[in-house]
Amino acid sequence: MGYIPLGAVFGFLFVQAGADGWLAVLASVVVFAGAAQYMMIPMIAAGTSVGAIALATLIVNLRHVFYGLSLLNKLPQGRLARWYLVFGLTDETYSVLTTLPAGTRDKQLVLIALLNQAWWVLGSLIGAVIGAQAQISLVGLDFALVALFCVLTVEQWRARKSAAPLWVALLAYAVAFLGSPRHALVIAIALSVVAALALDRASRVVPENQK
Amino acid sequence: MIDKSYAIGVIAAMGGVTFALRAVPFVAGLWLQKHPVVQRLGHFLPLAIMALLTVNSMVGMAATDPSGPWPEGLSGALVAMLQWRTRNALLSILLGTGVYVVLRNTHWLGA
Repeated sequence: MGYIPLGAVFGFLFVQAGADGWLAVLASVVVFAGAAQYMMIPMIAAGTSVGAIALATLIVNLRHVFYGLSLLNKLPQGRLARWYLVFGLTDETYSVLTTLPAGTRDKQLVLIALLNQAWWVLGSLIGAVIGAQAQISLVGLDFALVALFCVLTVEQWRARKSAAPLWVALLAYAVAFLGSPRHALVIAIALSVVAALALDRASRVVPENQK
Repeated sequence: MIDKSYAIGVIAAMGGVTFALRAVPFVAGLWLQKHPVVQRLGHFLPLAIMALLTVNSMVGMAATDPSGPWPEGLSGALVAMLQWRTRNALLSILLGTGVYVVLRNTHWLGA
């Protein structure tokens, strides 16, 4: 149910940016990825190329690769059910699935994902309808994207024992920003990958030396 | 007005990329699971990338804000604190965005 208002914010902002209401609904049916959909609004409003938006989607949703890895044996074997769940593996659905006991029935798993998407689509529709009524020229409504990213960061932080990735990321961003403000994000991601691999090596070398 | 065929192209591309990312583990999962590097990145990258996206979007907004970066920093800190305490994403996002809209439109913080 929590998806309805978040979907409504998406539908509202998308329509305010100048898109038809049914496009908001289509996006929520076809894409079904909250952060990426929020991110796309200013880009599509500015006429950014499809390729650049696809690349940004890749970066924003890269974490989903790792969600699937931890669920390999938990998803249903039936083809349709399995692939629908793969499609619907959002942050919310993932966090619900990880809390379920191992023997949960396939039907129930599919129902969870279907309901999540139903609320998301319904919310988008409601938001789009409201957004079509009146143009509100309030500066700063697009802070909703920053807020959503921030919420996801806090939840990722909570799920981890170590905050090291957070500090490494902030440091990497500072370094990247000094080097090239325009490409700071991509450079910082690359630096973070390198740091992750280097830290991994360091942590494996130490125990061997202590033997 | 946003062009319909352009918007549909964007939505199709985003849907394709998102589905491909979510499907990678189920196509190449056994191979990926065998590699410790992938595991390590799986522990590290999701938090690192989310933090980077947060900072990057804040910096982007601050650049369009004459009184930046104070409204961005303040509202961002509020969202993080609310989410940490309450775990209520809706509350955190609506309150944080509300405070930000007020700060931007009333110019309390300088300029």
